[in-house]
Amino acid sequence: MDGRVSVTRVVVIAQASLLREAWKALLSMQPGIEVAGDAGSPEALAARALPGGGCVLVDAQTGATADLVGRLSRLPREWHALVLVDASQTSQIVELLRAGAFGVVSRGSSVAELVSGLVAAGRGEIVIPSAIAAEVLTQLLDDASTGVDRPASLSSREAEVLHLLAQGLTNKLMAQQLLLSVRTVEAHLRAIYDKLGVTSRTEAVLWAVRHGYARGG
Amino acid sequence: MSTKPTSVAVLGTLADFHREPIAYNLSALVRLVEDLQPDLLCLDMTSDEWARRDFAGLPLEYREALVPLAAQTDIVVVPVADERPIAEPELQGVRAAIGGKLRQTLAYLQRSAPSPAAINQGLRHHVANHLYEVLAGLHGRHLRTSAKAHAHRLAGNVVQAVRRDPGRRVLVVVNVRFCHYLRQTLRSYADLDVVRYSEL
Repeated sequence: MDGRVSVTRVVVIAQASLLREAWKALLSMQPGIEVAGDAGSPEALAARALPGGGCVLVDAQTGATADLVGRLSRLPREWHALVLVDASQTSQIVELLRAGAFGVVSRGSSVAELVSGLVAAGRGEIVIPSAIAAEVLTQLLDDASTGVDRPASLSSREAEVLHLLAQGLTNKLMAQQLLLSVRTVEAHLRAIYDKLGVTSRTEAVLWAVRHGYARGG
Repeated sequence: MSTKPTSVAVLGTLADFHREPIAYNLSALVRLVEDLQPDLLCLDMTSDEWARRDFAGLPLEYREALVPLAAQTDIVVVPVADERPIAEPELQGVRAAIGGKLRQTLAYLQRSAPSPAAINQGLRHHVANHLYEVLAGLHGRHLRTSAKAHAHRLAGNVVQAVRRDPGRRVLVVVNVRFCHYLRQTLRSYADLDVVRYSEL
């Protein structure tokens, strides 16, 4: 029974307790999700020192995203924030990613999209709506230094994976598109990191965007 | 990547009965597949249906159970049908009466199955398979040949999926009528290890 996918632990952050309860009730019914707790703010969660790690679903009140940006850094490092946003606005998403969020999910998303976003963010993947992923990543490039700028000999499959990575797809979405297992995509990503000489997904994405992999086709 | 044969299990389902949909608790099937957590889930649907998310013509267990489950987990859906199997024409006269009885019996087998496991093992599985064969026989040679050709294409596409990503755990979920032929065909490939779903 090797290779079984472990559950993603999720903590809900929302100011209103009723909202937290509602989120917990919904998420606890979803396969592969374990609700590990809730908190009223990033600071409250940090103070609790929850063991392990996972994903933090941050449901900021409408219009409160700017306030949230400065406070995301207070989250424990092992807990990756996925922020619910009203609409997919590039500037807002860039700001949240710069502040330490691992991704955003629109309030208009389906439960399945939210759950797959939580799983992906919990694993350390960047979760961005694919329609604006290239734009977001290009903006991130403006103030990021990857330290990598060399061509790499990628196999055609690795190039395909990198292309999808640069479009902001999660491992699951890449796997579904290529009809490969998630574990195989992960193996390709490890090989890509080695070949590019990068150590993280963010660096690989930035390398890909810089080298034109984010363009269609 | 891997020299070890790829484990493939074929799970038969029996939820839709042509013109006779029956009440069926799909949560048991969801739990079973969720528990198995296959890497790849091969389903009897075309790539076009999958790309368009057009599940209207697909069995209930796909629409209501397996596709939603895959959307929320790491299970990757692989559509393995080239086209939809041909629809069974209306039977006439005595054949219609016999066909009706056979469908009732199939429906009873489904209703009385305590779990998805029950329809995949033992007497119930064999009876369901034979009833489908007799039903196909009532419709004549053309339908039987067509069903066999469909199962053959399913098997070919499962093999392709395995060879694209060897060494992973592959679960094929199809109507019980295709199970026997599919297992038999898949067993002929040395790089596939056809196992019971409980051993996946």
